[in-house]
Amino acid sequence: MDDGDGVGAPVIGDKPAIERVATRPAEETHRSSAEWIRKNLFPNPFNSFLTVAFGIFVLVSARGLLNFVFSEERGWDAVRTNLRLIFTHAYPEEQYVRVWVCVGVVVALACLSLGLFASGGEGLRLRKISNALNATAAAIALGVVLREPSVLIGADGETVRDADGVVRQSFAEAMADRWAWWLAAAVLAVVALAVRRVPKRSDGSPAAVPTLDFAIGAMALPVLSTWVYPWGHYAFADGEFIAEPGRTVAMSTKVPWTVMWALAVASLIVGRWVSAQVDERALSRLRAVVAFTWLVVPFVLYWVVLRDPDLDWDRIFTVDAPLALAFGIGGGAVLWWLTADGRGELGRIGAIALLGFAAFHWVAAFMGWYPMLQKVRISFLLLAVMALLAHNFSGEAAKRRRLVLAWLVITTVFHYFATVMNTPSTVETPTEALIGGFAVTLVVAVFTLMLSFPLGVVLALARTSRLPIFRVMSTAYIEVVRGVPLITILIFFVVILPLFLPANMEISLFASATLGYTLFSAAYLAENVRGGLQSIRRGQYEASDAVGLSTVQRTVFIVLPQSLRASIPPLVGQVIATFKETSLLAIIGVFDILRMANSVIPAQTQFLGIKREGLLFVSLVYWVFSYMLSKQSQRLERRLGVGER
Amino acid sequence: MSISDATVAVSEELAARDDMIVCRGVDKWFGDFQALSGITATIKEQEIVVVLGPSGSGKSTWIRCINRLEAHQSGQIIVDGIELTNDLRNIEKIRSEVGMVFQQFNLFPHLTVIDNITLAPIWVRRKSRPEAEEQALSLLERVGIPEQAQKFPGQLSGGQQQRVAIARALAMEPRVMLFDEPTSALDPEMIKEVLDVMEELARTGMTMMVVTHEMGFAREVADRIIFMEDGEIVEVGTPHHFFTEPAEERTKLFLSQVL
Repeated sequence: MDDGDGVGAPVIGDKPAIERVATRPAEETHRSSAEWIRKNLFPNPFNSFLTVAFGIFVLVSARGLLNFVFSEERGWDAVRTNLRLIFTHAYPEEQYVRVWVCVGVVVALACLSLGLFASGGEGLRLRKISNALNATAAAIALGVVLREPSVLIGADGETVRDADGVVRQSFAEAMADRWAWWLAAAVLAVVALAVRRVPKRSDGSPAAVPTLDFAIGAMALPVLSTWVYPWGHYAFADGEFIAEPGRTVAMSTKVPWTVMWALAVASLIVGRWVSAQVDERALSRLRAVVAFTWLVVPFVLYWVVLRDPDLDWDRIFTVDAPLALAFGIGGGAVLWWLTADGRGELGRIGAIALLGFAAFHWVAAFMGWYPMLQKVRISFLLLAVMALLAHNFSGEAAKRRRLVLAWLVITTVFHYFATVMNTPSTVETPTEALIGGFAVTLVVAVFTLMLSFPLGVVLALARTSRLPIFRVMSTAYIEVVRGVPLITILIFFVVILPLFLPANMEISLFASATLGYTLFSAAYLAENVRGGLQSIRRGQYEASDAVGLSTVQRTVFIVLPQSLRASIPPLVGQVIATFKETSLLAIIGVFDILRMANSVIPAQTQFLGIKREGLLFVSLVYWVFSYMLSKQSQRLERRLGVGER
Repeated sequence: MSISDATVAVSEELAARDDMIVCRGVDKWFGDFQALSGITATIKEQEIVVVLGPSGSGKSTWIRCINRLEAHQSGQIIVDGIELTNDLRNIEKIRSEVGMVFQQFNLFPHLTVIDNITLAPIWVRRKSRPEAEEQALSLLERVGIPEQAQKFPGQLSGGQQQRVAIARALAMEPRVMLFDEPTSALDPEMIKEVLDVMEELARTGMTMMVVTHEMGFAREVADRIIFMEDGEIVEVGTPHHFFTEPAEERTKLFLSQVL
């Protein structure tokens, strides 16, 4: 960033920019398409050649893809039939409602957040929708023409062959045979025309629909279609659909998907209604609650909903609850004492002593001096961290109460999950991992990001710290991790790490893989955050110092918000990379989505050797999610750019 | 003319007040370059001191040493009876007594105007949020832009931003205000609105130390003018003395260039 010129949107109130827009030559916006084509595609002989050459390349590629996808030899049934396997592997069918509860919670929370956080915006212009519909219609028509004619199927159900190979329809027959596609293209074009005819609004602005409403409305179409058409594995005889009862994808999921859609609409409405009712301050508090919920939800969903802990109540009443209570009350008292007026230096010494005490237990654990519950060690460490932050909350009773309250919440949440995680599950699955397929991809990616983000930020701060010990340690860590391939780290964590652990400690394949991903991803995130840290101008540090903020306050309130904002594009790049890198789980023995397509489905007797369809589908799933992430990042950038300089 | 002679020229009434900032033989090096050499000066309570001098003369370095944005290497700086040393507690204490306004405003671009102002009172002065916001609004009223409270700094003009920066510094209820070329980054039409706010502040009895190139402001508002060159104090005197009968050759040369 040079000399205060932000990278974000143009500064609001930038007069010259507004004038430029006003005096833009009229013909540029109202050019005919013929003119546009001549000017942009065929401006001179060389560019015309490039346009033609690459046009041919695109058409040939599209034809190849279409021929592959629509070929009679393709076994798409392998994908259709195995959708449940691809998304959740062997999660028991009788407990499947748990998976739907997870999806429902995420959908509801997402739509609630959208309702609460929605910025409004100008919406989606009808003209744009119309253009998109037209483009889709044109693409369908082009595809119908490009695809080679189908092979003829004889009365015996086999393809008809002659001396040259398979016999295909004539071109005219093929075009006539694909009437349904023509019809679809025509319907789309007519809808596009109708949409374009919608008059401008009374104030002269172009007609538009709110983007979110449009997206949710559009999603209703596929959901509703499952009620009239049994998408999936079905047969057609005597004019009736015959599906294996309950096995067709559409038949077995139409109720859940409809519930999800209704849930989405309901939570969106609730979110909007609430945000319209309450005032600014209450709204920002609500948003904080929603953000906190997002942090807790993955843990709840994985360990409580998907795993169904089989709680041992005797132990809870005799060990777990008393421990949590003791830490809650004892820790609260310590924090209350530390924040009292005039603690000053004594408070800091107390906090550091507590940190030393907590660290000692960890050393003791690895040396095997005395046994202690792992959660007790972690609790002491958490308390020490809170104590170090305590001096920010000293003084007023209200502030001290807030710190103690925060401690109580943290203790409760932590002890609850520690108990739940250590409890066996009632859900029985054939593999060690609770869930497989795409779900395990999501679970590993989400936990990796949640753990590696704080770690990455800490590493970046350490690397830019003035204290050499932090700087050297962080730099060494980052450089070592970045110099080692991810697959090496994963294999190390899965195969070698368990050998190094103390005798009484065990680690599951899933946990060690997540740990490996976390440490790897944190190093890269740290470098991205460091880029953002370096973009903060010196004046920001000086201004924070001049108003008397402490180093911690300066970092939390001034430096990090700005540097994280500045590094959104590389951070999202790293998020997408992590999401895709989870496909390496297939190599270390987890049944993830890639492994389903690559080895599980091709091994099924009825789909023996059918691999390419599955891989294409898996690529599509990865692409859809990555594309959504990158779109959201662009939106986030635009939205956060508003306040910038 | 020596420095002690110049101080005599200041009125008796001023000399009787308490010392606010005392500098004794302050030296500062950037590598081999000596930015400040033997700065000795005393600024009294409620006094308005304007520091003049050509660029590179060490004015900004000096003013930045006073709240420890730069560390001096030898000599003493005492603010309101607290000596600036490496002791963090003294630095914290002095920074909460000294407000600073920068040439480049240095507002926090990711916070709204009101959050810019209330951040430090809430987290350093430990005020409650409603109390801090009420104070911030009255300060914005005082600098003439109460209607901009919910905007982001990037949406304001330079003059408005600098006035927010003044309000932000005042929110800490400082006993001294330091101004480091507050109008140098502003478009000409916005300079006056900032100077007006500073004049108003001077009338309320704030102790102020101002590095500036605004000769008009120096002449009208200052109690004393300190002229610096090459890291040294060359001449000290009342505006009348300074603009009408400067004693030093270097001062005359400077005045002939800027007036």
